[in-house]
Amino acid sequence: MIRDHISLDGIDRYLAETGVQSSDFVPVQPREFSGEIFAVDGSNASICNWSTANVNLIRAGYAVYQGRVWRRTVITFDDVFLADPKQCKNMFDPFLQEFFGLNGVDLNESDLDRLSSYYRELQEYVAINDALTVAQPGDIILYDGSFDVFELLRGALATIFVRAEQKSVALLAVAKSSSLFWGEEISMPFVQHTSMAGSLLLPGSAWYLSLKDKKVDASQGRWNGQTYIVRFCGQSEHAFRVDAPSFLQGEMASVLGKLAAYSCSSECLGYPHALFRAHRDIRITEEEGAAVRQRLMGELLEMGMPHSEIRTLMQDFHDILEMRSGF
Amino acid sequence: MATTQEERQPGMGESMLSRKVIVKGDTTYKIVSKSVTEYHFTVPYILPDEERVEVGQIFSIKDQGLTFLARVLNIEHSSNYDGHWDTTMKGTQIFDQDQIFNRVIAEPLGCISETGGFKKTRTLPTKFAPVARAEINEFKFLRQVMGDIEIGYLRNGSRLVKDIPVALHSEAMDHHMGVFATTGMGKSNFMKVFAASCMRLAARGESKFGLLIVDPHGEYLKGKGPVKGLVHLKKYADGLVCYSTDKNNASDPGVEELMIGLKDIEPSDVALLYDWSPAQKDALEAISRIFGRDWLSDLNRPEGISKMVSENINEKTAGVLSKRIKNVLDKNRYINDIRSSIPNILANIQDGKVVLVDIPRMSDRSELFLLSVLSRCILDAYKEEARPARKNCLITIEEAQRVLGSESNTVRFETIAREGRKFGVGLCAITQQPKLLDKQLLSQFNTLVVMGLGDRNDRSQLEESAKQDLSSMDVEIQTLEKGEAVISTLNIPFPIPAKIHRYERYLEKLQEEDRSEDKLINKVGFRPVVD
Ligand SMILES: Nc1ncnc2c1ncn2[C@@H]1O[C@H](COP(=O)(O)OP(=O)(O)OP(=O)(O)O)[C@@H](O)[C@H]1O
Ligand SMILES: [Mg+2]
Repeated sequence: MIRDHISLDGIDRYLAETGVQSSDFVPVQPREFSGEIFAVDGSNASICNWSTANVNLIRAGYAVYQGRVWRRTVITFDDVFLADPKQCKNMFDPFLQEFFGLNGVDLNESDLDRLSSYYRELQEYVAINDALTVAQPGDIILYDGSFDVFELLRGALATIFVRAEQKSVALLAVAKSSSLFWGEEISMPFVQHTSMAGSLLLPGSAWYLSLKDKKVDASQGRWNGQTYIVRFCGQSEHAFRVDAPSFLQGEMASVLGKLAAYSCSSECLGYPHALFRAHRDIRITEEEGAAVRQRLMGELLEMGMPHSEIRTLMQDFHDILEMRSGF
Repeated sequence: MATTQEERQPGMGESMLSRKVIVKGDTTYKIVSKSVTEYHFTVPYILPDEERVEVGQIFSIKDQGLTFLARVLNIEHSSNYDGHWDTTMKGTQIFDQDQIFNRVIAEPLGCISETGGFKKTRTLPTKFAPVARAEINEFKFLRQVMGDIEIGYLRNGSRLVKDIPVALHSEAMDHHMGVFATTGMGKSNFMKVFAASCMRLAARGESKFGLLIVDPHGEYLKGKGPVKGLVHLKKYADGLVCYSTDKNNASDPGVEELMIGLKDIEPSDVALLYDWSPAQKDALEAISRIFGRDWLSDLNRPEGISKMVSENINEKTAGVLSKRIKNVLDKNRYINDIRSSIPNILANIQDGKVVLVDIPRMSDRSELFLLSVLSRCILDAYKEEARPARKNCLITIEEAQRVLGSESNTVRFETIAREGRKFGVGLCAITQQPKLLDKQLLSQFNTLVVMGLGDRNDRSQLEESAKQDLSSMDVEIQTLEKGEAVISTLNIPFPIPAKIHRYERYLEKLQEEDRSEDKLINKVGFRPVVD
């Protein structure tokens, strides 16, 4: 049963049902490049969770590489976010206005988890925007994720696309996981099977495949760009979903060639190394989350809340089950 | 890693961003942990050979006004990555070299204050304080704590620190010294360097003790082939007095033939040469009562045995005694009733000279016998009221496990080890097997010169009885090369890694040093003050 859902069994059916042809796999020639690669990432950790209002620690920023050499990592946002539907507008609007010239959005959203995810995304766009202001023509900005985003933030992304195009900066979203699927009767994992097909067709080589006009729903047309499946490194088995704005369509081979030259690090073979570093430098560790939780409790205590009350409010039953000491 | 505020032109949204920029700082050569008793710092995981970190090296940590010193105990691979990233690694190139490093574990030695004074420390360096290999500047304070008997240079790992000579203190010598090394690691070379420095002090009238060396291997006097002996230090020949049982050697200028008078020998000296039955022991003890001071010559006469029998000693016992004593006299031809070198030997020692007794090709037993006789004479002399200018005495014992072993029955040397200090007599015990020495006796030794020791039991014996903590230096002691030593002694605040001078080179150095000093004296007309 499980096998039916995942086994590829030769590529004929895959080719037939997806509309992909062998010739759609385009080899990528790694090419050294002297410009900078920016990798934007964000992180979100739950600090406490009352189902009426959540507190999350959110961090966003980017790592900058020149060739194999890490230059710096810039953190553009690092703060707690109170997900409260009533307060929300005050949190989102100033950023949307200031950075993207948008009039604010109507966040008709009561799912608190989603609220904090949106806020993290917003801060990631602010980070992309920040990278754009320092990037030079020809540089590459990578974003950890997809450009098929939440509708209300699409406006921000549109502004970013325009700025990137004006500055001649390549902008790509690289997704570590993807929900793309293919198949007429049962749904099959698309990125993985494309990766296997690529290994058969272009063994040992980096390649990319455009999903334009393929029978795969990648939300084509919903945002101003195109989705690709890319193998960045010939020695790797992995392939990734890559989203690119439409202004890059003619340059994909060249941009991916530059990335391929820096996606074969020993630390993380097959993945653009700058994204690896961004992930590590920007992630919020468990200890950091715990420290922020402690600080928050301390502040509440200082404001005069009784200890027992804070304890009851802050303690997560998971911690009790896991026998983690808290406060 | 350093965090800086990036310079930027004011613009869009600047006021809303609290931008934090992490740039490549020096992530290595920094203290990262851990406690007052153990410091950890990071170093790059790849270093050129000459910069590799080794166990035993001393590093300095600059922290505001203080400079901490720490000795490397161990080095570990480390990184900022978790899990088995290093055994599952693909590809060929590490991009982020700054994420992988070695963690160096070091033990604190102490701390130098701004005024240059050194003391043990009760605190620890600030986290991220910079670390560097200790250089001449950080070691300068050692000059102040060094003594007057130069034996080598300071060593930092395998590197020489030529500006800091290592020198033992004359004052510590009556607290006994031990010299330990596996065979061939440089014990004899050390003793010659030590003796040379003593000769130099004696020749300059600065020596504080006389040194007795009884040499059964014939290596100290003239050396062998390219290996030089003490007579080659002509410059300071005044500080040396030599005696030899070898007729050839004794004909050399400056060497006297060794003579020991019959009267100088006591029955107890003979006692340690053989295993005796209780009856024989009693008889031996009775001898001085029966014969008086001339016991040796009297016993040797035909009526000797019958005199003993008349004193109720079993005839057979008396026969064994007589035979054995004759045997001793036969084997030790320097014993006679003509003349004795002992008064001169004593006088020279008390004058603070180096006295070398060269007894080549002599058996183990005979050597012990002679050493025992000399030691007794010395201790007896030092027990008497001292004349004002009398210098202390240091008695060298080669293969000291023979007489200071946990099972040895030679009380004489044990007595010196335990109470010689009261009279100004110290022992210099040389052995390749410290594990055979009696622990209690070993704990009386305040100066330890430890050279390469391969045997773990030898090392742990020393570590257990040393005054300073040597246990953390176990790996270093195990890996010491020829001529390298760790020296633990009074007045020097921590065990010092040293490279003992090679004797032949030291001879040259002494020659050089003095010539330049002579020149100075000739030119300027005064003796420069040595600080
Ligand atoms: N400080 C030194 N510097 C350079 N070489 C040395 C040093 N000490 C010893 N050696 C070398 O090691 C050789 C052996 O040294 P030495 O005879 O002093 O060893 P040992 O410990 O007395 O040996 P044994 O146990 O046989 O008496 C010397 O001939 C010399 O070549
Ligand atoms: Mg020797």
